[in-house]
Amino acid sequence: MNEAAAAGFPAGRAGSSARSRPGRLSRSARGALAVVAFLWVVAAVSPLFSARAAEIRLNDRLLAPSRAHPFGTDDLGRDLLARVIAATPISLAIGTTAAAVSVLIGFSVGATAGWFGGMVDLVLSRLVEVVLCFPVLFLLLALAAFLPPSPLTVIFAIGLTTWPGDARFARAEILKTRDLDYTRAARSAGASTPRILVRHLLPVAAPPLLVSAAFGVGWAILAEAALSFLGVGLPPPMASWGGILAVAPAYIEDAWWIALFPGLALFATVSAYNLLAAGLREATTEKSVNR
Amino acid sequence: MTRYIARRLAFAVPTLAGIVVLVFALLHLAPGSPVSALGEGSGRRVSQQAAHEMQRLYGLDRPLPERFARWISRVARLDFGESFVDHRPVLARIGEALPYTLVLNGLALLLTLAIAVPLGVAAGGRPEGSLDRASSAILFALYSLPAFWAALLLQTLFSVKLRWLPLYGVASDLPEGGAAGFLDRASHLVLPVLCLTYGSLAFFARLIRSSVAETRNADYVLAARARGLSRRQALWKHAFRNALIPLVTLLGLVLPGLLSGSVIIERIFAWPGLGRLYFDSILSRDYPVILALSLLGAVSTLVLTLVADIASAVADPRVRDGSIS
Repeated sequence: MNEAAAAGFPAGRAGSSARSRPGRLSRSARGALAVVAFLWVVAAVSPLFSARAAEIRLNDRLLAPSRAHPFGTDDLGRDLLARVIAATPISLAIGTTAAAVSVLIGFSVGATAGWFGGMVDLVLSRLVEVVLCFPVLFLLLALAAFLPPSPLTVIFAIGLTTWPGDARFARAEILKTRDLDYTRAARSAGASTPRILVRHLLPVAAPPLLVSAAFGVGWAILAEAALSFLGVGLPPPMASWGGILAVAPAYIEDAWWIALFPGLALFATVSAYNLLAAGLREATTEKSVNR
Repeated sequence: MTRYIARRLAFAVPTLAGIVVLVFALLHLAPGSPVSALGEGSGRRVSQQAAHEMQRLYGLDRPLPERFARWISRVARLDFGESFVDHRPVLARIGEALPYTLVLNGLALLLTLAIAVPLGVAAGGRPEGSLDRASSAILFALYSLPAFWAALLLQTLFSVKLRWLPLYGVASDLPEGGAAGFLDRASHLVLPVLCLTYGSLAFFARLIRSSVAETRNADYVLAARARGLSRRQALWKHAFRNALIPLVTLLGLVLPGLLSGSVIIERIFAWPGLGRLYFDSILSRDYPVILALSLLGAVSTLVLTLVADIASAVADPRVRDGSIS
C-alpha cells in the first residue's frame, strides 16, 4: 500500500491525448469531482443525523436492512445509515488535514533538498530513505498507539509517516525546474531565493504537487480507516467509517450489512479522490506538453 | 562497477544509522511505558513498589543515552532480549512467526507476478486497446479498495454464505494427515493470499504496462519485428526484458508494503505471522519485540534495496554511470 501511494498510481496514460482535450478534466474525473462535492454536502448536513446515530435501542439490535433502517442496525440497535452519514465529516476532515500535514512536511523537506542540493540534499535524502525503509503501518501503529488517543494523534501519525513520498516528489519537481533558463534569468536579474521559489518555481511545480496532494487525501482516509478498524484510531464515541467497521468481524455470521455499507462509503470516497487525482494529472500533463 | 557498488554501500551506512536511531527514539521518547501499560486501563493494579521493581529489572530507570548504548551493543550481537509478555527470547518468537508470513507473502507475490506480468505485457502491447482500458479500470478500482473491507466481504461471501472456505486460522481444529490435511491448510490460505495479492497487483501491472507501452515502438523492438519476429516474440523478448529493470529495482521497496499489509490481513484471518506479532506487541507494549521487528523490517528493506540497485547496475550500464536512476 505504501509503495503504491508513494509513487502514486502509475497510470501515466501515454498517448491518450486523442480522446481528452488538454487542460480539461476527463469525464471520469468530473464525475469523481461531483462525488467529492456530494460527500462534502453530506458532511455539511450530517449534524442533523448525529442524534439518530447515537440513539441506542437494544430492542432493535442487528436488524437487517428494511424501509425503517435502509442500512440495517448495528450491535447496539443504532441506525447504520445515520451512523455512516454522521461519520462522513470525521473521515473527510481527518483525511484532508492528515494529507495536508504530510504534503506540508514533504514539500518543505523535498523543496529544500532539491533547491540547495549538495550536503543539504544528501542529508535530507538519507532521512527520506530511512523513513521509507519502515513498513508504514509499523510506524503508524506505534505512533497511534503510544500517543494519547485523539483526532490530532491520528492526523499527526498519518502526516509524519507518509511525507517521504511527497518529499521525493517535490524534490524531483524542483530539480527539474531549478536550472531552467527562466529561473537562471530571474537569478541573474537579482531575484531573491524566496521570490524565485514562489514566483517562478511554484507555478510550474504546483499542478503535479496538487495531483500528489489529491492522491494523499485518498491514502490518508484509507490509513485513518485502517487505524480505527484496528482499534488504535479515534477514541470512542467518535466513529469514522473504519471505526464502525471495527465491530463487523464479530458479527460476520449474523450481520453482513455492518461490513457492507460503511465499507462502501469508504471505497466510494477513496476511489473518488484517486480518480480525481488521476484526472488532474492527465489534464495538467497534457497542458504542459502543449506549451 | 566497483566504484558504483562502493558509492552505493557508503550511502547505506548513514541510512542504517538513521534507522537504528529512529527505532530507538520512536519507542523511548513516546509517553507511556510497559509498566504504565500494566496499570490503568489494563484492569490490573500494580503497586508503586512493583512498578519500580519492574523498571529496574528492565533497565527502564537508566538514563536514555545509557539505555541506547546498551541496546546497540546487544543488537550488534543479534541479542534482542526477552519478550516482556512471555519471557521467551525475542528471536525465538520472531522465528516462530516468520515462516507463516513468508508462506503468505511469498504465495501472494508469486500470484501477483503471475497475473501482473502477462496482463501488463498484453495491455502495454496495445495501449488504449479494449484489454488495456478494461484492465486499467478494474486495477484502478482494486487500488482504491481497502484490504480489510475486501477481506470482510470475501469472508461473508465464501465462508459464511457459501461455506466453501474457512473463516480464519491456519488449519482446522482436528489435524488431518496426508492429502486431506494439505487441502485443509491450502483452503485456509486462499482468502488471505487473495487479499494480499490484489493490492500490489495494480502497482505491478501498471508499472509493466507503462514500460512495455513506452518501449514497444523503440528502434530495437521494431528492428526485431523487421527481422521477422512475431509481435508476441518482439514484445516478450525485447520490450518486456527492458521493463524488467525498473521491476527489479522496485522489488526491494515492496517488502515494507507487504509487511504493512500483513498487519491487517493477519489480524483479520488470525494468522500467526509477523504482522500479528507486531500488532499484539504494540497493544501489550512489548518493547523488545517491537524494537526487534521494526529494526529487522527496516534493515532487510535496506539490504534488499541495495541488492536490487546493484543488480540493476550490473544489468544496465546506464544506471552505473548515472544517466538514469
